[in-house]
Amino acid sequence: MKSFLPVVAATVVLAVLQLLLGTSEYFVYLTSLVGVNVVLAVSLNIINGMTGQFSIGHAGFMAVGAYVAGTTSLILKDDQLSFLPPAVSDQLFLLLALLLGGGTAGLFGFLVGLPSLRLRGDYLAIVTLGFGEIIRVVIQNSDGLSKSLGAVPGLSLVGSFVGKFGGALGVSGVPQRSTFFMVWFWVFVLVLLARRLADSSHGRWLKAIREDEVAAEAMGVDTTSYKVRAFVVSSFFAGIAGGLFAHFVPIINPGSFTFVKSMEVVVMIVAGGLGSTTGAIVAAVFLTLLPEGLRSLFLQLGGGDASLAQKVDQVRMPIYGVLLVLIMLTRSQGLFGTHEAWDLWKRRKPAEAKA
Amino acid sequence: MSAPLLEAKKVSIRFGGLKALTDFSLTLSRGDLKGLIGPNGAGKTTAFNVLTGVYAPTEGEVVVAGERVNGKRPFQINRLGVARTFQNIRLFKQLTALDNVRIAILPETKRWFDAGRVQALKRGSGVQRALGAALDATDNYRDWWRAFLRTPGFLAEEAVVTAKAEELLSVMGLSHRKDELASSLPYGEQRRLEMARALGTKPNVLLLDEPAAGMNTREKADLMVLIRQLRDQFQVGILVIEHDMKLVMGICEHLTVLDHGETIASGDPALVRKDAKVIEAYLGEAPAHVA
Ligand SMILES: Nc1ncnc2c1ncn2[C@@H]1O[C@H](COP(=O)(O)OP(=O)(O)OP(=O)(O)O)[C@@H](O)[C@H]1O
Ligand SMILES: [Mg+2]
Repeated sequence: MKSFLPVVAATVVLAVLQLLLGTSEYFVYLTSLVGVNVVLAVSLNIINGMTGQFSIGHAGFMAVGAYVAGTTSLILKDDQLSFLPPAVSDQLFLLLALLLGGGTAGLFGFLVGLPSLRLRGDYLAIVTLGFGEIIRVVIQNSDGLSKSLGAVPGLSLVGSFVGKFGGALGVSGVPQRSTFFMVWFWVFVLVLLARRLADSSHGRWLKAIREDEVAAEAMGVDTTSYKVRAFVVSSFFAGIAGGLFAHFVPIINPGSFTFVKSMEVVVMIVAGGLGSTTGAIVAAVFLTLLPEGLRSLFLQLGGGDASLAQKVDQVRMPIYGVLLVLIMLTRSQGLFGTHEAWDLWKRRKPAEAKA
Repeated sequence: MSAPLLEAKKVSIRFGGLKALTDFSLTLSRGDLKGLIGPNGAGKTTAFNVLTGVYAPTEGEVVVAGERVNGKRPFQINRLGVARTFQNIRLFKQLTALDNVRIAILPETKRWFDAGRVQALKRGSGVQRALGAALDATDNYRDWWRAFLRTPGFLAEEAVVTAKAEELLSVMGLSHRKDELASSLPYGEQRRLEMARALGTKPNVLLLDEPAAGMNTREKADLMVLIRQLRDQFQVGILVIEHDMKLVMGICEHLTVLDHGETIASGDPALVRKDAKVIEAYLGEAPAHVA
C-alpha cells in the first residue's frame, strides 16, 4: 500500500545506516542528540506553529518521559526475551519503556492542556512555564514525594517507582539501549505525522485555530478540544524524546530539564519559522551541532586544554540570543516562514503534468 | 412555509451598563430572505453574535432547529445549521482559498460509536458521562491515527471534502483563485470566499454581515443576484445586515429595523421604509441611506 511505502523505505535505510555506522560511538551520540532535539522541536511546532498557541514548558514533558522510561528500563534491566537475540530483545524493552514514558507525558499534556487551553497567549505561556518548573522541582524532591505516595493505600507501587528518581542526584545506571535506529525511527514517525496531519482536515483545523479562533469556531471547529489534542500529541512526542535521551546519557537529573532547555526548543522553532516542520528540523540540527562545533573549535584554540571547551555551555545561550535577534531583525517569519521543503516538490509536479 | 430553523425569542444582551440588544425577536425559515438594518451601533452585529453563540443572551432564548441553544458554543450552533460571515472579514488569511473552504467542510467519517448514543451517555450520570467521554475521545483520536496512516477510507473522505470545496468555489466564481492565499484576494472576492466558507458547513440558515461593504455598484448588483441564487440553490434561509438601501429593498422580503438595540419596526420592506420612527432614526444618523 502506498501509504506505508515511506515507512518501509525509512526502516530499511535506517537499518542499513545502523549496520554501517551504529558502532561509531561519537557518531551515535551526536546523531542521537540531534535526533532528540529534532523530535522536541517538531513536536513543539505542532502546538506553537500549527495551532498558534504559545507553550514554553516542553522540557517538563521531556522530563516526565525521561524519568518514566528511564526508571522502567532500570527496573527491567536484567529481563530478557530468551527466544529473541539479546539486541532485539533490548530494543523491544526500550520501545516498551518509551511508550510508557511518552504515554505518561501525553497524559500530563492532557491534564495541563484541559484547563489551560481556555487561556490565551501570554496566560497559557505562564501556565506551561509554571508546569515545567513544577515538574522539575517535584523531581528534585522526589524522595519526599515517594514517601508520601507510599503512605497512600493503593499508590505504594507508584511511590516506590518515584523513589528511584533519586532527587537532585538523578537516575544513573539506566541501560544504554538507545540506538541510532531507534532515535531516527521516531524522528521519522513524527515528521511523517506532522506532514500528513498538516495536509489533512485535522491539521487544517489546527491551522484555522492559529489563523482566527473566532472564525474557526464559527465554522464548526471545536477549538478547545483540538487545542487539547494538539497538546496531548505534542507532549507524547516530547516524552518519547525524553525517554530516548535517558537511554544514551550516563545520568538523568533535574538539571537537564530546566527552563533553559524549554527555551532552547522555542528558539529552534522560532528561528526555523513557526509552522514549518522543515524549519524546525533544520534549526534543531544546526543549533545542536553548533555547540559541538564550538567545543572542538575552543579545544583547538586552547591547544588541547579542555577548560576553554567546557565554557561552551556558558556561552551557548548568549549565542542563541544573538542569533535569534539577528533572525528576527532580518527575517521575522523565521528561516522558512510556514513553507515546507516538500511543498517545492509538490508545486513542481502539477506544472510538469501540464507540460 | 416550514417550521422556523432559527428563532430568537425576546433576546436581550447587556454589556455592563449598555443594553446592546433589547427584546429582539426574529424567525428564519427555509427559503426566507430577510434583512436586518439600522444606524451604526444599533446592535445588528451584536444580534448575529447572540444568534451564533459568540455571546449568550442575558435574557430570552435562541432556538435552532427546535433546540434551545442558550450557552452553547459557537461551533455547536454551527453544527446545528447556522453559518455566518463577518462584517470585518475574518478569513484564514495565510491559508489558500481552497483550504479556507475545506476547513468548513466536515468529512463524513463513519464513527465507531453512534454519535447520538454517545451524546446520550454524556448527559447521564457520572459513570455514564465518563464512558461517553472515553468513547468520544477514542473516536476522535482514531481520526488522527487514520490521517497518519492515510487509510483508504480516510483518503476517500478527504477527496470528497476537496471536491465539495472546489464546487463551492466555482459557485462563487472563485475557482481561478483556488491556490492563492486568502489575504491576497481583492476585497469583493474575499467577501465571496467568506460566503463559500460559510456554505461549506452545510447550513440551514446563512447570516451575512454587510456583504456589500466596500463593493462598487457593479459588484453590488452581482451580489444581489448571487444572494438570491444561493437561497434557491442551497435551500437556505438568509438574513442580511446591510446599509445599502437599494440592495436591501431589492432583495429582502422582510425587514427588521434596530435602533439603540430596540426593534423599532419590522415587516414588509415597503411599509417599513415609510415608518415614521425609521425615518427619524435614519435622519438622525445618515440621511443618505434613505434617499
Ligand atoms: N463585546 C462588547 N462589549 C461591549 N460593548 C459592545 C460589545 N460588542 C458591541 N458592543 C456595543 O454594542 C453596540 C452595538 O454594536 P454593534 O456592533 O452590534 O452595532 P452594529 O449595528 O453592527 O453597527 P455597525 O453598523 O457599525 O456595524 C455598540 O455600542 C457597541 O459598542
Ligand atoms: Mg455591525
